[in-house]
Amino acid sequence: MSEYFRKYIKKEHYANHYTNLKFKTSFRNCILEAFKRRLWKETDGDDWDIMWAEKEWIHEVMDHTHLQPNQKINHFRNHYELTRKDLMIKNLKRYKKNLEREGKQEDANNYNFYPLTFHLPSEYPIFFEEFKRQSQNGDTKTAWIMKPIGKSQGKGIFIFNKIQQISQWKNTLRYNQDNPQAEAYIVQKYLADPLLIGGKKFDMRIYLLCTSYQPLTLYLYRTGFARFTHHRYDNEDITNTYVHLTNVAIQKTSDNYDEKLGGKWNLQTLKLYLMAKYGQEKVAETFYNIQMLMIRSLQAVQKIIINDKHCFELYGFDILLDAQLKPWLLEVNASPSMTSNTPIDFELKCGLLDDVFTIIDLEKVLTGNEEQIGGFDLICKGAPIKLPINSTFTTYLGAFNNRQQQLKKIAKSTAIRLAQTYQETQTKAIEIGSKGQKEKEEKDKQMRSSSKGPQAMQNGVNGSNKPNNLSKQNTIMKRNTTNLPALGAVQNKSNIKRQPLQNAGQQQQQLQQSQSNSSKKNNPNEDSMLSANQKLQKLTQESKINQFQPYKQQSQYNDVMGMGSRNLQKNEE
Amino acid sequence: MQQLDNQEILMKLKASKQFWDIKKKIKQGFNEQLKIGVNDIQKFAQSCEIEDQLIKLISHILKKSKKRETLKEDQIEFLNTSKIKWTELLFKNLDIVHQKTKNQEEDDTNTDSKLYIYDEKNLLAFLQTFKQQQSNSLYQNVQFQSNKLLNINIPLKSSQSILDKYQYLLLQEELQDDKINKIRKQIENEHLDIELEKIAQNFVPNGERCLLYLKYFEFDHQETVIQQNFAKLQKECSNQLFYDELLEIDGHEISEDTFYFVFQEQILTCLKCFIRDKTIKENIRIQLQSGLKKENTEFQLPVAGFFPFKNISKYVAPICYLSTKIHIIYALFKEFFCRYFCFLHSISSENNSILALCMQIEEIVSTRSPKLFHHLKVIGSDTLKLIMHQLVYCFIGDMDPPHILTIYDQIIGHDSLEILIILCVGFLNKYKPKLLLAKNYENVQQIFSELREDKFQELVQFAYKQ
Repeated sequence: MSEYFRKYIKKEHYANHYTNLKFKTSFRNCILEAFKRRLWKETDGDDWDIMWAEKEWIHEVMDHTHLQPNQKINHFRNHYELTRKDLMIKNLKRYKKNLEREGKQEDANNYNFYPLTFHLPSEYPIFFEEFKRQSQNGDTKTAWIMKPIGKSQGKGIFIFNKIQQISQWKNTLRYNQDNPQAEAYIVQKYLADPLLIGGKKFDMRIYLLCTSYQPLTLYLYRTGFARFTHHRYDNEDITNTYVHLTNVAIQKTSDNYDEKLGGKWNLQTLKLYLMAKYGQEKVAETFYNIQMLMIRSLQAVQKIIINDKHCFELYGFDILLDAQLKPWLLEVNASPSMTSNTPIDFELKCGLLDDVFTIIDLEKVLTGNEEQIGGFDLICKGAPIKLPINSTFTTYLGAFNNRQQQLKKIAKSTAIRLAQTYQETQTKAIEIGSKGQKEKEEKDKQMRSSSKGPQAMQNGVNGSNKPNNLSKQNTIMKRNTTNLPALGAVQNKSNIKRQPLQNAGQQQQQLQQSQSNSSKKNNPNEDSMLSANQKLQKLTQESKINQFQPYKQQSQYNDVMGMGSRNLQKNEE
Repeated sequence: MQQLDNQEILMKLKASKQFWDIKKKIKQGFNEQLKIGVNDIQKFAQSCEIEDQLIKLISHILKKSKKRETLKEDQIEFLNTSKIKWTELLFKNLDIVHQKTKNQEEDDTNTDSKLYIYDEKNLLAFLQTFKQQQSNSLYQNVQFQSNKLLNINIPLKSSQSILDKYQYLLLQEELQDDKINKIRKQIENEHLDIELEKIAQNFVPNGERCLLYLKYFEFDHQETVIQQNFAKLQKECSNQLFYDELLEIDGHEISEDTFYFVFQEQILTCLKCFIRDKTIKENIRIQLQSGLKKENTEFQLPVAGFFPFKNISKYVAPICYLSTKIHIIYALFKEFFCRYFCFLHSISSENNSILALCMQIEEIVSTRSPKLFHHLKVIGSDTLKLIMHQLVYCFIGDMDPPHILTIYDQIIGHDSLEILIILCVGFLNKYKPKLLLAKNYENVQQIFSELREDKFQELVQFAYKQ
């Protein structure tokens, strides 16, 4: 949980407290660090609340596993429809055709952000025709790029401009449409006029979070990277991959690759640079086009991807700008690299992941209507979100990433809202308590004699409101704490630490209290959360502990809370 | 001061838009009147409220018509002799560096990549020697009991007046879109120095900065000339110089900077041209080294008239964000160096000089944060030693490019380097709590080796924090 949420929101107000949450992952990079920073616990078993799995796990295991309602996982089942190079192109082409068929020519025309692409070997004849056509037009310089479908990090990629250059590839793979062993490739027309900075080629890595495909809910991260090649760009020399491929994995093998450097700019730096040459408006338009490109790509597969409330996905979009600042979609990564090569990079990625986890909201503290969470801005919910007409921005992509300030703000407002709802539920409970007091007393007696389920124990024996109120508090505590021992231990400590801040929160709470239900005496200020723990202890000792169901966890809880086994024994008796 | 002839003044007058606007108004006002006296013009200007504009225009033209001459002699004599000593010292360093490179060529295993003629530490160490010299010669009977590293008798502005001057920065807020557009239009239409300075003092939109600088330096209609000059210099670069090697080594450091690595080649090209540019000697506002010819040295000063020093690349780097055209980058860098940055490397009593800036900082810190000042002295890491790097290199490498460019705006806006004093004081105040806990020089080093992010506005606010 982002530190601000931990700071401002009181434990009692969580629907699901962060210390109860468990994560599972096989990754040992920023992902693990981000999980740990939220104070979640790692697990190897199946009792995880969130799992950051590898893609393979999804394909192999997920279909055969039943997920609990609360469990979240970082991929959609058939994410490859978007993230495999060939399928992405296929889906984009298909969606474009559908739009044309429906007469939405204008919308269809917007799907012009991917280079001319063919699937090999299946589309080899059409590709060959196209290749010949381009050559006949005297366009001999047109280069093509071959990318193996199943590989990442630039493996197996090569560029060619003569058909002979792929003949070898054809022979080794025994080009044959029916040969299942032939490794599938896509061949794309190579974008020969990329925008160069300092004579170097670059592409952009931009992060997009999809939490649902129905309705399509997308969050765009403000910070991304521009990744540079280490060598000057040379249109003539197509054999030097260092010049043409920006993948970090490729550049790392270059002789002059500098570990410390990483060859990256963040988007804010890139934006600043571009503004000097193209002016503010043109750059704003470009970044808006990038945002729309991403929304359109997801819209194209919206009906194909199997929507699942357990799933979310963080996509890494690779986008290239050409010399006219037109964005081109190179590919979409389902597992964007979360390893870092510089301390700044490390912090950025941990921050990014922390914001992803905040949006996933395992703690269930957010409303789901937030327009900005950390560095993420909501850009689509069913339909693309339009910013107000008077807004300075057309997109927040590449804008100043104010995630710290924003998280602070959102944590504060959330804390106030949660405190308010907490108070309301308490008041309701009190009202119910005093109305049906007699009836309940009777029921209570019956229940106690038959010692049934815990719900029956919720209402106090005492006639006064105060214990009633507190007993409610106890049940809330209980519901929040499936992992009771740890909570008890942590809670006591952190309560002491957080004292000043809680007081601040308390003041706000008091204000609201006095405004909304000033007439209710049963809601005294002394009910502050600061002393909730002490009160709980006091009360459980004073008022017969046998009101509570003595299950195993409760006994552990009591142990930690220092209530000893004496009471328990009583209960068991 | 050289005076331009009338023709040139008229040319300059005609180059400004205001001139034509005023001319149009005057023409309309006087219709076909044949004889017009000065009084008539004055009366007319008053009547249609263009008097102010007229005065501004005329004073602007006058200012422009006077050509600034390079400061060679300082009013304080011992600084003149010091400058000669400094130059001699640098010649010696040059010999050592040359010897080292020779050795390196012979012995490949010994690759000391950090070769330079001097750096900011050398400069500070040299400035420190003044204290004794001056006290010996001028104040033989006066005992100095100052804790300050530099305490030399040169005319200084009052530090309070500097603080007051920049206080307005505290109130600056982010501007709305419509205001940005207004500023943009203003920059496009404005030609007068005073007005451009005013804009630079307050807020310059990122996209318009290059235009503002070009206009301020009067390059806006001279792109082809700039391009031709640069092409000539580039041709000259084919003759390899020993200094080129030093510049290449210097470039390595900038290539490790996240923000500037992309521009490594452009920066090197600019610097190679820079040391070969003959016009620098005429344009530079202060002579950095006294060009004494020593007979027994193998090398002479570069054509530019001074030695390239360590991290000279840093001054070019932020300018790379202003334009994609290398000749524009070069022209802006040249102008910035000749007008302002040269003072950061000159032994002089001028207000902008490194000596004056250092003394101002010491003055402010010792009076406003005496505890910190004393503590730093005790642990052997004097205030100046701490911020010398930031001061000499204008925080380049310490702040992100947008913030550095804001510093550049302020330098232009006030035609002065005083903003660096404010920022250095703010910088020290920001890290004051940590610095007070440091027990030795290593601790201090550690504080600054941690990941940190300094911002222009933030440092300004810290500077005024008591």
